[in-house]
Amino acid sequence: MASDRGTSGIGPRKGERWGALLVLVALSVLFLAPFGWMVSTSLKHESRIFTRPGEPPQWIPTTERTDEQGRPLVTWQGRPGVDLGRDADGRHTLLIGDEQVQAWPEDFAVQQRMGLHWENYARAFEMMDFVQNLRNTLFICVAVVLGTLASCSLTAYSLARIPWRGRTALFFFCIATMMVPYQVTLIPLFAVYSRLGWVGTFLPLIVPYLFGTPFYIFLLRQFFLGIPQDLSAAARIDGCSEFGAFAHIIVPLSKPALATTALFMFLFQWADFLNPLIYLQDDRHYTLAIALQQFQSQHESAWGPLMAMSTVITLPIIALFFLTQRTFIQGITMTGLKG
Amino acid sequence: MVRTYLAWVLAAAAAGALLAVLWPVRAGSPEERRAIEAGRVVITYWDRHSGHEHEARVRLFDEYNRTQGVVDGVYVRALPIGYNMEKMLTAIAGSAPPDLCSLEGTVLVALAPQGCFLPIGDRMAASPHLREEAFFPHTWKAVSYDGRVYGVPTTCDTMCLLWNKSAFRRAGLDPERPPQTIAELEEYAGRLTIHSETGFDQIGFLPWLPWDLSHMWGGLFGGVWFDDASGRAVNGADPRIIASLEWQRSFSVDPRRSDNPPHAMDPARIAAFRSGFGAYMSANTPFYSGKVAMITEGEWQVTFIPKYAPDLDWGVAPIPQPEGAPPRCYSTSCVADAIPANCRHPEEAWKVIEWLYAPRPGTTRSPASDYAREISNIPCRRAEALDERFMGDPKFRVFVEELLNKPAVSYPVTPAAQVMLDEIERQREYVVFHQTTPEAASQTIERTANAEIERIEGLLEQVRP
Amino acid sequence: MTTSERRHLRNGLLFALPYLIGVAAFVVYPLVMSVYYSFCRYNIISSPVWIGLDNYRELFFNDPVFLKAVYNTLYYTAFAVPLGLAFSIGLAMLLNLRTPGVAVFRTVFFLPSIVPMVASAMLWLWVLNPESGLVNGLLRQVAGIDGPGWLADEHWSKPSLVLMSLWGLGTAMVIFLAGLSDVPQALYEVARIDGAGPWRTFRHVTLPMLTPTILFNLVMGLIGAFQYFTQVYVMTGGRGGPVDSTMFYALYLYRNSFYYLRMGYACAMAWMLFVLIFVCTAAVFASSRRWVYYHGE
Repeated sequence: MASDRGTSGIGPRKGERWGALLVLVALSVLFLAPFGWMVSTSLKHESRIFTRPGEPPQWIPTTERTDEQGRPLVTWQGRPGVDLGRDADGRHTLLIGDEQVQAWPEDFAVQQRMGLHWENYARAFEMMDFVQNLRNTLFICVAVVLGTLASCSLTAYSLARIPWRGRTALFFFCIATMMVPYQVTLIPLFAVYSRLGWVGTFLPLIVPYLFGTPFYIFLLRQFFLGIPQDLSAAARIDGCSEFGAFAHIIVPLSKPALATTALFMFLFQWADFLNPLIYLQDDRHYTLAIALQQFQSQHESAWGPLMAMSTVITLPIIALFFLTQRTFIQGITMTGLKG
Repeated sequence: MVRTYLAWVLAAAAAGALLAVLWPVRAGSPEERRAIEAGRVVITYWDRHSGHEHEARVRLFDEYNRTQGVVDGVYVRALPIGYNMEKMLTAIAGSAPPDLCSLEGTVLVALAPQGCFLPIGDRMAASPHLREEAFFPHTWKAVSYDGRVYGVPTTCDTMCLLWNKSAFRRAGLDPERPPQTIAELEEYAGRLTIHSETGFDQIGFLPWLPWDLSHMWGGLFGGVWFDDASGRAVNGADPRIIASLEWQRSFSVDPRRSDNPPHAMDPARIAAFRSGFGAYMSANTPFYSGKVAMITEGEWQVTFIPKYAPDLDWGVAPIPQPEGAPPRCYSTSCVADAIPANCRHPEEAWKVIEWLYAPRPGTTRSPASDYAREISNIPCRRAEALDERFMGDPKFRVFVEELLNKPAVSYPVTPAAQVMLDEIERQREYVVFHQTTPEAASQTIERTANAEIERIEGLLEQVRP
Repeated sequence: MTTSERRHLRNGLLFALPYLIGVAAFVVYPLVMSVYYSFCRYNIISSPVWIGLDNYRELFFNDPVFLKAVYNTLYYTAFAVPLGLAFSIGLAMLLNLRTPGVAVFRTVFFLPSIVPMVASAMLWLWVLNPESGLVNGLLRQVAGIDGPGWLADEHWSKPSLVLMSLWGLGTAMVIFLAGLSDVPQALYEVARIDGAGPWRTFRHVTLPMLTPTILFNLVMGLIGAFQYFTQVYVMTGGRGGPVDSTMFYALYLYRNSFYYLRMGYACAMAWMLFVLIFVCTAAVFASSRRWVYYHGE
């Protein structure tokens, strides 16, 4: 993964390197711990999610051990036994060896063995209409990505490769609009969509992107500028129209920049929250992110299913990252350094 | 060049195919699709409830869709919205409302004056089952504004004190005798609180559990938040309101004082303890799991507790009031069915309302009261609440009797109600975290509420002809 | 105008047409309306009523929650942005030491930054749960300390959010890594010959060469922090509690818009946010002349 770019450095001595390795390992554990906690919680039984005061965090999901009759096995004062049940006050009767003992729940421990509880996933899928939500999310993502690619590359081409009067002004205007926080246009747009009858549909989430996004116009323009002018000049001599030069020369040469645009737009839409929150009204239209949040607002502390769902909406993104690492890292570098 | 053309055509085709595959078809249930094929009108119903309460609602509409819906040519599809006011507001303000919805009286009155809901007073007056006299007065008031009626009250609630008898026994208290006065409530709270090294094993009582109830405490202390005649908040200098805030504050330790009462707890530890509570409708609800020994809750607990905590040994009693305070009960407002003004199928929605509230043939029980019974809420029509199936349950009876025997304190009926209630909650937080005084808090509440009322009046002048 | 100039103008406008339409419809028109609404009482349902400067006056003189939101936002920005920069530079430097497994480490540090915000907010809400969360559990287990109430405690809620933001610094780190690889090897050689230790090399070679990247990450960080919304909306149920300690600017704006339907007021808030962001970024750019070093210029 690191081979795509030369690493330069201070040329550390061996000891320093090992020291750094240690720090890196420690930090990696810290960075990964929340993921581990998420997956672990998503596989825990409801009764094991909340720890008792003083109990250390439990990483491995467990199940209660029971005897052949299905009675929980317990440990009381270091001795094994069986839980016979509880009375109205919550006191349990335990069978320890041959004697019966009365004990409060905090005085004994139920024996545990490792056991994964997939029912959190089942419950989350059931409560969220997962397939429909996924389909909605993908539909919005794909439509927006296609629209962005088309509109931004056309505009960027105009700004980078057609010498017309006013293009510099338009370019600076485009940059300037990036400075305006989205909150400024939020309400007027809501008013417009409301008058058009678009609230409660996918349209407000897709249509604006069919007309270009300043950031990606900027990105593509920078990339198009780097393509030698002779290439399009040659195409024009061959009798190519302006669009021909765009379609046959520039676009095929700009695959890395276009891939970056598509990837980042996809990620952004996959996780977008505010717009779906405002504009999607019917649960049949919900995206995964909104479905997850709505689920949380109705089942506040159902941490098992919540973590299951969080895992499910995170996994595709991680998979996507591993599939497209190069584009990913190059893309970030491109946006970061050329900005 | 031919190759690039081909690539373009292929890319376009692939993109089109991908979009077509992903096209989010509106997948209705098979019944819904059959209803559409049969030419019935599908109307959407937004339910203020979620969870098992919503499921009860869905069963009700399943019945309608099978029976009367066929006659009416209507099919109802219900969605759980929950207590999500912003969702209702954005939908209505965004001209994308449902055809029919159940919602809190406060939300209804926030929007109705601006013409967002159909006034249905005339239709109700024409129906023998929906006359004003039939309803509990505070619920009727909650759906009316400026002489017009905008919704049919479905269910209302009352708050009582619930106590865990096992916890009482463990603390050496008489499990059959709940606290009768505020002083006793404080004393029991102190005795029932079990401190642990890091916080609590059990909290005896906390006035702001399960949620902020400052509006209730103010009312039960005898205070007046809102004056209906002038349409203004008047709590600012009300000594009883201030006393109620002071009393709530006494549950939170003031680090600058040495004479904190025995029932006072560290506010940061309370907050930490609360974050360990489980979901509201689950076995991990703090009152069910024994983390809180006494709590003020509504009548729905009569079905919740057997469902989620069948082993819990508990009792119900009226909430203690301070000495000298006029006897009052607390009922927030009501959940009502209303028809948004710019919905697509108002006539069909009204047909559904008629079915919901008319007695079933040959009985006195309406589908709406069946629903109220199933989710264990008090129906808003007095005669239905007096039905044996509600009054026959000794615990439920305590709740209904509160409503029958005492005047109810309920939410202010003003478009600014939500702003006022949010400000009450905010100021209560400031008070119990010792960031402001009860006197200043009360003043701020009044000022904020009245500013909002004036702002809305300014807007309404535009609307009125 | 020559024929070719005219043709270029026609083609240029034609290619930019989608964007020109989009900008008119989705940027210029809403901007103009937003200014207008900010001088009005407006709730979308009825038509706007002109009230002059009242919304702005209310913001600054009559709305303590607004001032609190400004304070919270500045607090968050003042900690999250510099700490994020420092940590991402640190991580990038460590990764730049060519230890074994660098690719794996880079992936590990980067991954959190692409987790959808709703999911990471949910995750951290649970990780920071004072009773059963991972952090307090580990604090008890490893150090024997009683952890704070984190998001449930008004004094710890903002630090909690800063902590969570540090988990997502992957993007900045990758940009710094690229910046580091652009530092000419020759400079390090010179430093070594001069006998500079690691700290002086960092202080006088690496850091100056990184300043353009720092400027970029700083500006992006500022803009992001001022508009901080999704996480806090999810984590506090849209309420900004406890005691308004996480009522951030964008959240309060959202509440005014869609909770109380004070759309005109919210527009005024949005313009004040614009001013705030503009002033801060302008200040950063103005100062950058003194601390950003463009080599080769």
